[in-house]
Amino acid sequence: MDDTDPLIEELRQLTPAAPSAVLTRRLAAELARPARRTGLRWWLLGLGLPAAAAIAMLCAVWSNHRATVGPRTAATPAPPASPATDVFTPVTAENVLYAATDDGLATLPDGRAVRRERLQYIDTITWVNPRTHASLTWSIPREEVRVVPVRYE
Amino acid sequence: MEASEHDSWTIWFQHYGPKLLLCARQWTDSAADAEDLVQEAFVRFWRRQRHLGGDPLPLLVTSIRRAALDVNRRDTRRERRELAAESPGEAVWFEPVLENDERRQAIEAALRRLPEEQRSVLVLKIWGELTFQQIAAALDTSPNTAASRYRYGLAALRQELTAVDRHG
Repeated sequence: MDDTDPLIEELRQLTPAAPSAVLTRRLAAELARPARRTGLRWWLLGLGLPAAAAIAMLCAVWSNHRATVGPRTAATPAPPASPATDVFTPVTAENVLYAATDDGLATLPDGRAVRRERLQYIDTITWVNPRTHASLTWSIPREEVRVVPVRYE
Repeated sequence: MEASEHDSWTIWFQHYGPKLLLCARQWTDSAADAEDLVQEAFVRFWRRQRHLGGDPLPLLVTSIRRAALDVNRRDTRRERRELAAESPGEAVWFEPVLENDERRQAIEAALRRLPEEQRSVLVLKIWGELTFQQIAAALDTSPNTAASRYRYGLAALRQELTAVDRHG
């Protein structure tokens, strides 16, 4: 593949057609809208988890205390059932490989020859609350380095 | 949206939008479908992925390719044929050239006649400016296969254009 090939040069001179004005307007409208809010906030998780832990500890201490004291004479009425809490269920998990580079040959400390490949992914996980239909999407970049043994045969 | 925010995405989209649209056209039956895919991928990128760093084009192309596969799986072949039949006046893939637009038309027509797998690699390599590694990742194939398809595609395109030149 010769980059000085006149045909390649000629092809490069062609300019891809611009998107329609309608698409640009649609993008402007879409991006002007605030991103969809989700029912879950990370700062709430930060507050909620310690609070849940504190409640769990209190329950444990209370049940221990009751066990040592023994049952009272009259049965205490059961506490009312707590309202169903919002539960987010993971619905999709995908990873998109968007770049792969070959770092070339390398030698491991034990002397084995290997080829090192670097793969870049975007992992995206989506949770949905079936009750409110609120959704939470989490995307994070991930880099994976693969070491493939090289054989000279 | 802040004015600077608006300016930055429009500048970005003016640069990358045509390339993304041309890539999307390789995997869709109509310009409208291609624009839908570009919109979906671009909005997702701009909102959630632009701060991730690295070259954004391979990520966007991969995103568009995945979405196109989903759309193609969802729509039946019959529906797609009907849609294609509804839009006979297909929009051009390249900007018209003032001096010699016939040549542009010939190249575009020859490109459209290539098998999809060769055409995609040519488009991603020449106009998307992706490496064979990046093309392989976007198309779920190996870099060697991508390079072979590029060579075959280029040879087929050359042959087509030579035939056009010969016969006028």
